[in-house]
Amino acid sequence: MVIRTGSTAILEYETLRDVIDVALWAGQMLLQNGADSQRVEETVHRIGTGLGCNWMDIFVSPNAIVVTTISGDDFRTKIRRIVRIGVNMHLIDAVNSISRRVEIGELDRFQLRAELEKLDALPHNYHRWTVVAMVGLACAAFARLFGGDFPVMAITFAASSTAMYVRQELNRRFFNSFLVVIVTALIAGLIASLATRYNIGKEPQIALAASVLLLVPGVPLINAAEDVINGYVVMGLVRGVTGGIIALCIALGLLIAMRLMGVEGL
Amino acid sequence: MKETFDLTWLIAQDAFWSGIAALGFAILFNVPKRTLFGCVIGGAAGHAIRTGLMESGATIELATLAGATVIGFLGTYFARRCSAPAAIFTVSAAIPMVPGVFAYRAMLGLINLADADVAFGQDILVETMINATKTGFILAAIAGGTIIPQLLFQRVKPIV
Repeated sequence: MVIRTGSTAILEYETLRDVIDVALWAGQMLLQNGADSQRVEETVHRIGTGLGCNWMDIFVSPNAIVVTTISGDDFRTKIRRIVRIGVNMHLIDAVNSISRRVEIGELDRFQLRAELEKLDALPHNYHRWTVVAMVGLACAAFARLFGGDFPVMAITFAASSTAMYVRQELNRRFFNSFLVVIVTALIAGLIASLATRYNIGKEPQIALAASVLLLVPGVPLINAAEDVINGYVVMGLVRGVTGGIIALCIALGLLIAMRLMGVEGL
Repeated sequence: MKETFDLTWLIAQDAFWSGIAALGFAILFNVPKRTLFGCVIGGAAGHAIRTGLMESGATIELATLAGATVIGFLGTYFARRCSAPAAIFTVSAAIPMVPGVFAYRAMLGLINLADADVAFGQDILVETMINATKTGFILAAIAGGTIIPQLLFQRVKPIV
């Protein structure tokens, strides 16, 4: 792969302002939706040089992206805050393909802005009840992988899908994200511990272990390791610590549920 | 003969259920619909290979590395076929291998450590450290394995 430097033509100072704004917006979308740091940096660079800058310098940090656009002797620098970290792979795919179109000159900066605005308003690909059911099914599959029998899988399905519904409702009301994890794990744990309480299935403890897996911070943890490998050690550490805190919150919620229900497990 | 059949059946079941798990998480992550198939195949293949290797005596870390490498190459293949970033496939497919249980067992241990006496606490401490270490190494294996194609094929010569 070759890092492109942009055209040698010199952009006007006002144009430079617009370029930095749309490039940062795309970068913000990527970082807020679970892209690794290298992808963010590459995409912002690709968009900036595709729109005619000579060079882009991008600094990705956990709470903000800093970009400097350079064209001729002129340069402009801007910071954009990263407010919320979630996972939305559709946006990552869409921003990626848009950046390729910018690179080959198919989109100018006005069209790019319109495309990003469209993306921002895009509804989810899947209906929320589909998500609830499929997440429940995924956790039931985990219960099966851990060696659970059919009753344990059924309890896990009930626990995880209810927990997923609660998680959606809490997220919609903008509760603190760690609090959402604790409460979701608590709900999942309460329902799953019914299996142990009433001795449903052969190894009822499996339901407890599997039902909270919907909360496992897979994306932050995988990105953490990937960032460290790629040399973004600070980003990797921050993502790793975030993942660790989420795991702690899961354990906390589960522990409260187990104490409330008076069951031992795991 | 029977043993071979049993092992094959076990791995086939494992592939099926981990494919379902990967599908559920792919939907949770809102992947584009055209990429769902690749996510499921990657999740099934990666986890089944890990289980197969563990059944034949490999440690979980090494088996994870092998499974993740396969996920990485499958991700590169599907990325070309569906023209989507490879990360979509590799992240969704790797989720069934993420050591969630080890991670929160480590955290449960940490919480339990708060009200343990010295003698009992040593056992908890050792157990917690083992779980935390396993979590770390398995995660490193997942990330290292899925990133191998990128390290091999997408090298960048520094300009500055």
